Amino acid sequence: MRRTSPLREAGLDLLTLVVLFLLLVPILWVFVASVRPETDITGGGLWPQRLTFVHYEAILAKKPFLIALKNSLIVGIVVAIITTALALPAAYALSRFRFHGRTFFGLLVLGTQMLPSLAVLVPLVVIVRQLGLTNTLTALIFTHLALGMPIAVWMLKGYIDAIPKELEEAAMIDGCSRVGALTRIVIPLIRPAIIAVGTFAFVLSWGEYLMALALISKADVKTLPLALQGLFDPYSFSWGQVMAGGTIIALPAILLFLIFRKQLVGGLLAGGVKG
Amino acid sequence: MASRQETVTGARAASRPPGRSLLPDRWLPYGMIGPAVFVAFAIAIVPLCYAFWLSLQDWYMLRQPLPKWGGLINYRALLQDTQLWASFGRTWIWTLGTVFVELLLAMPIALLLNRETGIARTASALILLPWVTPFIVLGFGWRFLLDSDVGPIHSFLHLIGIAGDSSVLNDPVLAFATIIFISGWKGTPFLVIALLAALKSIPDELYEAAEVDGAGAWSRFWHVTVPSIQNTVVTVGLVLGILAFYSFDLPWIMTKGGPQDATTIVGIAMYKAVFLDLRPAYAAAISIVMLVLLFIASMFALRARRID
Repeated sequence: MRRTSPLREAGLDLLTLVVLFLLLVPILWVFVASVRPETDITGGGLWPQRLTFVHYEAILAKKPFLIALKNSLIVGIVVAIITTALALPAAYALSRFRFHGRTFFGLLVLGTQMLPSLAVLVPLVVIVRQLGLTNTLTALIFTHLALGMPIAVWMLKGYIDAIPKELEEAAMIDGCSRVGALTRIVIPLIRPAIIAVGTFAFVLSWGEYLMALALISKADVKTLPLALQGLFDPYSFSWGQVMAGGTIIALPAILLFLIFRKQLVGGLLAGGVKG
Repeated sequence: MASRQETVTGARAASRPPGRSLLPDRWLPYGMIGPAVFVAFAIAIVPLCYAFWLSLQDWYMLRQPLPKWGGLINYRALLQDTQLWASFGRTWIWTLGTVFVELLLAMPIALLLNRETGIARTASALILLPWVTPFIVLGFGWRFLLDSDVGPIHSFLHLIGIAGDSSVLNDPVLAFATIIFISGWKGTPFLVIALLAALKSIPDELYEAAEVDGAGAWSRFWHVTVPSIQNTVVTVGLVLGILAFYSFDLPWIMTKGGPQDATTIVGIAMYKAVFLDLRPAYAAAISIVMLVLLFIASMFALRARRID
């Protein structure tokens, strides 16, 4: 790890590349299959030779898929906005104030993250039915808030902790209110983290399957994961189209995660290890 | 808005030393954390309590369409449900198998990535892809890869004699083993990143001291590395174990719990109890039993932590 010969490092780098390739090849194959002609997928060997976007054209011409795309965008964006709007003040309170019940509330919010959605699936489905909200995006949005909020609160708290208190105190002496200090001093300083948190909430909602499956059965409120399942018509389906749909779901998640990796990895670990 | 004004006047007075709690600060934190706590209550605490109440009802859509008090009726039925206990048994194999695969893959990868080269750094970013790709994509992707007509991995498994003419997903034992592997593969990156963070925090002096004492590479790994990362392994392993215990997406998307119930873990049994058998109260009882069993298992798992 410390005194290493360049040759040994090069060997280990090569090994790293091989291992990385083996780990990622199942995902790469999905992307590759989505741009190959159907005949090549079924009998064209391993190495792709022809490039085509017909599968994307085909699914983007399907009304149910487009509706699902719109629904997923609505749900994801609303979830991202609400998650951030609720997490930011909560994180600020946990970071800056000492108040009765602080530890309890903090653990309560963090505990939600440790609770998998399957654990509350049955009661949530019954509650949503009794409220008459089955097959509405409202119900889905509400359940999706649980996905990203705990991590959002703990990540933002970490970033606010790192800002010196004196900055806000100076602003408050100059006549700024608490809330003013938050919006004028803190928010501009942690803007990247806020964007990362919102992105993360969006990504988690975008790919969520179980709650959508349990709460939604009507075509006009289906989200993308359900629409992808719908492409699996047992009589005439195309692997290329299913893989293209999969790519459309996976790509935003992967890209946004890689862009905000620095902010997110720390938060993920804090959430995982503290819990 | 009242609080805002008071803060302003309080600050204008400026006689108070800054940072001391100003009057409105007493209520402000509750107002700020309130909405988040409300969501936590509405999505976690209330449903959990409701599940417990529901599990004590007699509610079977086909026979008893409106819930009425049933006492322990669901728990009694549950004790005699041999299929359900079989799925609980499968869930333990699934959970331990998933965490085992994760440890087996993540440990060497983390050691490999714990180097200061550009490739190691890039690899530790890209390795996260399986973790961030949604289950629905991975599930269909693997179905494609293992398909007996078009799947390249099926061809490979066929070549080395593991798979016959039909996909491994059609064989009860192989399907279960394969999906456990996929579940472990998906969780591996998270463990790798956690292990990397733990490995990077081990001070070099510890290795140097061990070397001075004449410890070889293996002995250094065993006496320096392992004790330093043990708590991370236990905690993250527990988190991953809880996630695996509550799995649903992967086995449902890939095999719907089949063939012949071979991949029906308890999450799927519970889903079927609500949506196919129309017995929500019974399903609620299952989720309560899951929670209790998981709690007991977690207590045992946490005993493996090192206390310094």
